[in-house]
Amino acid sequence: MELTDADLVARVLVDEDQHAFGELVRRHQSSVRGLLRQLTRTDVALADDLAQQAFLRAYKNIRNFRGEARFSTWLYRIAYNCFREDARRRKELVGIDEEQLQTQHDPQAADPGLRHDLMRALNLLPLNERSAILLCCQNGLSHDEAARVLDIPLGTVKTNVLRGREKLKRMLADWGPN
Amino acid sequence: MNQEHWLDRELRDAAPYIDDEGFTVRVLQQLPPPRRRQDLLRAVILLGTAFLASVLTYVVSDGGRFISVTLERLAALPALWVFVLALASGLVMAAAGATAAISRSRASLT
Repeated sequence: MELTDADLVARVLVDEDQHAFGELVRRHQSSVRGLLRQLTRTDVALADDLAQQAFLRAYKNIRNFRGEARFSTWLYRIAYNCFREDARRRKELVGIDEEQLQTQHDPQAADPGLRHDLMRALNLLPLNERSAILLCCQNGLSHDEAARVLDIPLGTVKTNVLRGREKLKRMLADWGPN
Repeated sequence: MNQEHWLDRELRDAAPYIDDEGFTVRVLQQLPPPRRRQDLLRAVILLGTAFLASVLTYVVSDGGRFISVTLERLAALPALWVFVLALASGLVMAAAGATAAISRSRASLT
């Protein structure tokens, strides 16, 4: 029988079982790295650095995981905080801001088709709408879980999802069903 | 409604599974070493020192005769003094417990 995330967390807490933590990393690496790749606008190297940072932080603070939310939600929250801290630091260092990032070269620009247009449209959304869309529509979190991850009120998450979705629909109108 | 489903499906498909490719190993290599070994060493040192100190005290104090002498002296003390001693000990223990609890809760917040 496969162990649940809660079982593995308990093993890490009681026995400092690093193999159990390795299993947690294996289970969630794809979704955490995927979220960070989208948040960093497909900067794979930066996203993976942030994901490593997030998992290390999760290991060091695993005693603070009380099991009230899903382990993946808790991980997303740590990953999002890592992303925000890095974005703030980079903005302070080199003056990168959202508007500049939006006009940066997109490495997927050479790929034709709907996927490319969708990624481009996602990257054009403001960070708050993009984060809400990625968590709720792409990673399947409920609005309540997304509100915990983003540390914003539930109503704001709903508004951001709604606005983001409307903008995506407008930008991808040519691809939609007729 | 159809368009919303279409958009959701495309969003989900736009996040394919990312192969591990050594990511988990890299994370595990950066984990701090387990504290269990350090804790065990610390416990052995503390218990060993306490045992040695007990043996030394027993030998030096002529088989622990000082305990019966001290107990006799305590029994001879007036009731008020015994009460004051018990109260003071209680206060010291409560203060130590409160200090430990506060430092622990601060550590868990950071």
